[in-house]
Amino acid sequence: MSDIRGSSTGRSRPVRALVPAAAGILLGAAALALYAAVGCDLNDPDRDVKRLFPGSTGYKTLYVSVSRKGGDGLLRQIEARLGDKFTGLFETADVPYTMYEIYKGTELIGYIHGANQKGTYGGLQVFLALDREGVIRGFYLQKLTSKAAKAFRDPAFGNQFLGLSLRDFYRYDVVTGKEEPPGPVSRIANPDPGSDRDFRAILRATKKNLVLADEFLLGNAHLKFFKG
Amino acid sequence: MSEAGGAGSRRPGRRSAVRFGAACLALLGAFAPGLRAQSSLLYLELQAVGAYATAPGRVDLFSFMAADAMQKPGLGFDFVQRLSAETRDIGVLGVQARLVYDQETKRPKPQLYNAYLRLKPKFANIWIGHSRPAMGLASVLDNHALLLPDATMFGFGFDRDWGVGLDRDFAWGGVAASLTAGSGMPLYLKGNYLAAARIFKGVLARDGHSVGLSLSQGRVLETMGYTLADPDPAAWTAAGLDWSFAWRNLESRAEILAGRRGGAGTFLAFWRPGLSLLEEGRLKIELQPALMRRAGDWDFSLGSGLTYLFNADLAGRFMVLRDSAGPGVRFVVQLYYYKRL
Repeated sequence: MSDIRGSSTGRSRPVRALVPAAAGILLGAAALALYAAVGCDLNDPDRDVKRLFPGSTGYKTLYVSVSRKGGDGLLRQIEARLGDKFTGLFETADVPYTMYEIYKGTELIGYIHGANQKGTYGGLQVFLALDREGVIRGFYLQKLTSKAAKAFRDPAFGNQFLGLSLRDFYRYDVVTGKEEPPGPVSRIANPDPGSDRDFRAILRATKKNLVLADEFLLGNAHLKFFKG
Repeated sequence: MSEAGGAGSRRPGRRSAVRFGAACLALLGAFAPGLRAQSSLLYLELQAVGAYATAPGRVDLFSFMAADAMQKPGLGFDFVQRLSAETRDIGVLGVQARLVYDQETKRPKPQLYNAYLRLKPKFANIWIGHSRPAMGLASVLDNHALLLPDATMFGFGFDRDWGVGLDRDFAWGGVAASLTAGSGMPLYLKGNYLAAARIFKGVLARDGHSVGLSLSQGRVLETMGYTLADPDPAAWTAAGLDWSFAWRNLESRAEILAGRRGGAGTFLAFWRPGLSLLEEGRLKIELQPALMRRAGDWDFSLGSGLTYLFNADLAGRFMVLRDSAGPGVRFVVQLYYYKRL
């Protein structure tokens, strides 16, 4: 890679075959089956997948984006289902979403997906473990900088999301923070009323996460529940 | 991927740049089906960098040191390809490279950062190629686009090195080890090597803190960027403690390293506190004092940086740096564009 012509010894020849070597590695790898990618991803998927799906034997990382699948038209549809505009640094059409397919043997048993969201002190990341029907089986706040971080990370808070799906969250308005009529989302208790902004950010991230998972993983199975 | 030296004609530099570009295109072309299938990420990187050093009153087109491989005006790409079997991930392929303007030779020069294959057997992740040695903050802090110099820029370890490594994460943190060439960006085989291991507790993005302990030993070459400063490797032994902490909109990273290089004591104390402001933390203010002992001399460096995110793709950075190398102050401005293709 480097050719130091000033070397007086003459015995300091660098290895110059880096491009061919890299090409060999790359082309050799190209012969393997290729899928998947990275984006808002789990810090350590090996550890996290096992924790969220204890019975799993493996996972595959998938890579999707709104711009690749449908562009601005799809973005408008997703915004409509979310009930809010995508804004800011974390919500653009070409932001990459990392989605994990979870397997037990050869059987697909669920998915994990994470979504970025603006919080009081920067971004937070909400990961959901979903079964094949899109029901929340695991809730995980990966990145979270909040006054109430400890309370939000408490399993008692995350457990309130278990069993819910996008069908439940459609009634929750992410702009007003209200569910009409009140239902399971309204029953999710904020463990720290002084951190209401972060609490609502978590709920919005959860709904966004479910909308994206429905669009990219579940074939829009929950679209029939959307009242527009 | 050769980088022509300062002497000689302009043709070798042009040839190396053309070879570099052609090779990269060929490699990416090999994965065109993967790109269509969204099995990969490809980012374009563009950056403009300019600096003014009050002593000797000079404008530079590099961020820190002319010979080093840090920020220079350039064009690059960052490519990641996932490798999967039917029901599980097998690994990741990463290639990150730049073609930069070199002020010393007034020619474009290639720089290769990532060039690794990372496999996922059950017991650990294993990488082979050009990646980060398991040593200190530099193994977890991506300095690729940043202006503020990290420990490797001060000569303590290598930002990237050629070799192999493995790592495994646990619920409490993780462990990593690497055996690399100890030559940094270029690959030389002159009896040089660097064995490094790091154990850490806590995951910054999850726990808000992380503490790491690193041990390294080897015979390393003195390189600056792609320049070999000393043709003979020097004995290296070091132990380091690093600490990362995030709380609300405050971030702090620190590292202490002590050891011996070429028979002389070596020491680094490095701290980088940062404060994020504005919506989504678009503005970040950082300070960076560092105290070093190298080749029997004590040195210091004091830096301050601003980062502003104009949008998801474009960042502006500004740095002021003062160190014991000279009487002046260095002002650096950078526009950094990183766009998914």
